Amino acid sequence: MTNAKAVKAPVRRKKVSLDSKKARAGWFFCLPFILGFLLVYLPIIIDSITYSFSHIVQERNQTYHLEFVGLANYQEALFTNPDFVKTLTKGITSLVVDIPAIVIFSLFVAILLNQKMFGRAAFRAIFFIPVILSTGLIAEIDASNAMLDYMSDPEASIDTGVQESTTSQIVSAIEIEALFANMKIGEGLTETVVKIVNNIFNIVNRSGVQMLIFLAALQSISPAIYESCKMDGATGWETFWKITFPMISPMILVNAIYTIIDSFTSESNQVMNLIARTSSEGKDGNVVSSAMAWMYFLIVLLIIGIFALLAKAFVFYQRRD
Amino acid sequence: MNNEQTTPQVKRETKNTIRVEFDRTPLLERLKAKFATTFFLQKVVFYIFRLVLLLGISYVILYPFFAKIAGSFMGMEDFIDVTVLLIPKHWTLDTYKAIFVENEYMTAFANTLLLSLSTAIAQTIVCALVGYGLAKFKFKGNAATMFAVIISMIVPHGTIQLSMYMQFRYFDILEIFNILNDAGITAKPYIANLTNSYWPLIILSITGLAFKNGLYIFMMRQFYRGVPDELEESAYIDGSGTFRTFWQIIVPLSVPMMVTIFLFAFCWQWTDNFYTEVFFTNNKTILMPDIVDIPESLVTTYQGQNLFYSAIYNTCGIMIIAPLVILYLFCQNFLVQGIERSGITG
Repeated sequence: MTNAKAVKAPVRRKKVSLDSKKARAGWFFCLPFILGFLLVYLPIIIDSITYSFSHIVQERNQTYHLEFVGLANYQEALFTNPDFVKTLTKGITSLVVDIPAIVIFSLFVAILLNQKMFGRAAFRAIFFIPVILSTGLIAEIDASNAMLDYMSDPEASIDTGVQESTTSQIVSAIEIEALFANMKIGEGLTETVVKIVNNIFNIVNRSGVQMLIFLAALQSISPAIYESCKMDGATGWETFWKITFPMISPMILVNAIYTIIDSFTSESNQVMNLIARTSSEGKDGNVVSSAMAWMYFLIVLLIIGIFALLAKAFVFYQRRD
Repeated sequence: MNNEQTTPQVKRETKNTIRVEFDRTPLLERLKAKFATTFFLQKVVFYIFRLVLLLGISYVILYPFFAKIAGSFMGMEDFIDVTVLLIPKHWTLDTYKAIFVENEYMTAFANTLLLSLSTAIAQTIVCALVGYGLAKFKFKGNAATMFAVIISMIVPHGTIQLSMYMQFRYFDILEIFNILNDAGITAKPYIANLTNSYWPLIILSITGLAFKNGLYIFMMRQFYRGVPDELEESAYIDGSGTFRTFWQIIVPLSVPMMVTIFLFAFCWQWTDNFYTEVFFTNNKTILMPDIVDIPESLVTTYQGQNLFYSAIYNTCGIMIIAPLVILYLFCQNFLVQGIERSGITG
């Protein structure tokens, strides 16, 4: 005992300030992620970028080496592959349509679910079902479902496994088209709206996390602000645009970006499906899929950047601390 | 109205009670004042509108599930019968039985449970640790680490699919095996092939790099930023160390948030088909994606085949999510609570 104390004593003399002690603890807490990022994730990303510039040559003893081919993979993706450019354009267009639809819908629902009313807990439970259940495998089943429905009926989009049930969907789309045609609204807008309406199931399914984020944001707005606003005689409409909207505008940006990122992984994303197909169908050593994926990523990163820049002008940050 | 008569009239008086009657406005007038106003009308209209809207969206969400469940009980004949919609005429459990037996549902269930539980627990703990470290400690790499988290969040996993497979097919951190091989310590060139095992997913989980872990870390960080510093300071003054404070003060506080993240991690791993397809290339380990298949006893060539097969796939889907529904019913309260307290706006 005494010996151990004697050995320990000199160590104690080295003074460690509270700040550096805390800094050390911080490093320690983050250690698993930092280690993983540096040792596992970074090599994966670097490899992926390297692959997109090379061919993989498998060797006999189960190893492989890379052969640098420059931009050949990119050229093949852009100029030789028949589907890539077409799918890319289509995918990005649908992304641009989907982002506002999902963000507006989830904001709307979050505001509804934030109000005090009968059965709020039940509605919340129902609205968050898709977040948990309509992912991965189930989304894949639904996607191929829609395809089967499509073969039997081109207008169908809701999956049910039952043919007749799609009828109501078609009717609603045609009705909306007729409605808008009567109102003399441009065809482009009509098509967009019909697309969104036909897509409502998809949109509801994909806006779960966004709803949660908006709900949390709404909860964090102090009720006192609303109260004083009410005292000054503001209507609900004014309160929304003057209080709620600015307060949650940072979250609108976050949700828009999250939606873009999330659509990368969704089963309905045609570009990613094409990339996956290319990578599974391709013969050994064919890494065109990597080139495609990075090109797609860069384009979407560009969209995110534009979005963030645009939003910068409108987003209101409450100064705290 | 009768302002001068506001004095209460004592009607009956006993030892303990006293019954007093005030002059009141008649019931009819009171009701009129309350209900026959535009304000009330507006409220009712809005209330009904809101209710209808919410019910409608709930219907959109729930209808596919009802339809799938209905379809799962239908016999083959029902799919060519035009009079059948949603209510089966030929009730049958054959689809369930076939999936249970021929597609080895129980094996897939056990394997996936093991995988999902281990990864979800690891992800919850690691994301809580990292989130706490990022939220409460100022150290030099803090901003850089947050940046790394964001990078891991926005690089889509489809983009790095191939190199991720390669990384674990020829697993070699810091080229240790390569150096050992070159030095001739191992008898023959040793290649650590981690595919077709749980290791890739576990490694990704304990380093907080698995599916959507960036989001979890972000959520935890925002939550911990909302926890007042005074809590920890008082613990430090009482002589508690950093880790003890975390374990005894912070963790109990963040249970709803951690349950939320556990729920996300568990469910998303359970229904995951991306990582399982990348890492499980031979079909020796039966996981949930492997049961989505047409059982041999139900193979048919008749005309309703497309719909029937689609119904079988949907039945597989129902059987996959059934355990999750039960879990969700238990945890959904935590989900809403956890999110509400997260104060993500921070």
